[in-house]
Amino acid sequence: MERKHFLKSLLLGAASTPVLLSACGKDTVSPTSGTSTTSGTTGTTGTTSGSGSCTVAPTETEGPFPTKTPASYVRSNITDGKTGYALTITITVNNSNASCAALAGALVDIWHCDAEGNYSEYGGTGMQATNYQSVHFLRGRQVTNAAGQVTFTSIFPGWYSGRATHIHVHVYSATGTSLKVTQIAFPEGSGTAVAAVNGYAKGLSGYTSNASDNVFSDGVALELATVTGSTLAGFQLAWALAVPA
Amino acid sequence: MPDRTICLCYRKIIDASSTRPWDKLVWDDSYAEFRLQAQNFNPENRYRSFGEILHYVPGAERLHFLVSGAVTGYVQQLNERMPDILNNLGRHFLRFERFQFELINSDLQDKSKHQVAINFVSTPLRWHDTVGQLLLVSEAAAVPAAGEMLTHLVQLQPFLSIYSIQTPEPHAPANAG
Repeated sequence: MERKHFLKSLLLGAASTPVLLSACGKDTVSPTSGTSTTSGTTGTTGTTSGSGSCTVAPTETEGPFPTKTPASYVRSNITDGKTGYALTITITVNNSNASCAALAGALVDIWHCDAEGNYSEYGGTGMQATNYQSVHFLRGRQVTNAAGQVTFTSIFPGWYSGRATHIHVHVYSATGTSLKVTQIAFPEGSGTAVAAVNGYAKGLSGYTSNASDNVFSDGVALELATVTGSTLAGFQLAWALAVPA
Repeated sequence: MPDRTICLCYRKIIDASSTRPWDKLVWDDSYAEFRLQAQNFNPENRYRSFGEILHYVPGAERLHFLVSGAVTGYVQQLNERMPDILNNLGRHFLRFERFQFELINSDLQDKSKHQVAINFVSTPLRWHDTVGQLLLVSEAAAVPAAGEMLTHLVQLQPFLSIYSIQTPEPHAPANAG
């Protein structure tokens, strides 16, 4: 069996999180010398893994020196090379326990599907035909500013069977307590951004409207965003929500 | 038998007893991210352990992936050098291009129960021979210089395994010598 096919079959069935920095395929191996060690880690081998075997201790220059790094979600531009019509997402968070004053310092997570309707998630869920194994594309986290706002640069979401176009939102307090899990809905019908994007390559045949969507069908007044712009210039989405903080 | 090409897998366990700086950063940040992401699957705080959430909540296996975002930055800081595993000269020598993060155990109220693993998969190696408990390997991508191939001896040890193996096809001229 071709190695890449073999690896692919392994990855497709993997239960947790394979991340390809680059493929392990036979054509893409970066050459390394046999004595490439110029730095290493300090400490002893296997102390944290309960190794009972007798192995040599590291005998190397100390290093590397790790630095505190935020989660890969913490960024404003979440496109990760995904192509589609540009979409700037501005979310305003207000505090329903404080006369809807702007809520600063809240964590806002968003995630949505790409132009084809796929999420960055490992493994098959049965709902998606394509498996993306690795990167956390189209997922982001920002902290609200003094005006309660966060802004993300992304692409206009595609759609998948059974759902209207949407963006997932999870708002946490500054200390990480969940305040709200919800979804942003898009205006639809002639003249709207959804009509202009026209479902990208697959069109809108079989598209689920907000009224038929089992999340939005109880009314979208609070979830509905304002979306302006064009396929040429890009779209701007603005949405506000109130959370009890 | 012609030399086979293998990838080694090192399953690095990180838990409350880990002391080195890189391990502690991974432990701290993966726990913080677990506490955030678990709320997607535990809205009423009905469960406190990862095991319970995984058992009772459909789709909770996505937590492996969702929490992995907290550690990718640290894995990149390793510059594709596999940690901990040494050759018999006491040097780190393995390269990795793939890894797989997994939550083993965690508890929303008891950080000391938080335990994760990072599975590092090495770049391909040519497996020439086995000497006692030592594997004699060389970089599969390396080209012999004047018939001489530089090699490493690596000890079989807990949490180190052969992840994949590829036997050259009989008609393939590669690895024949």
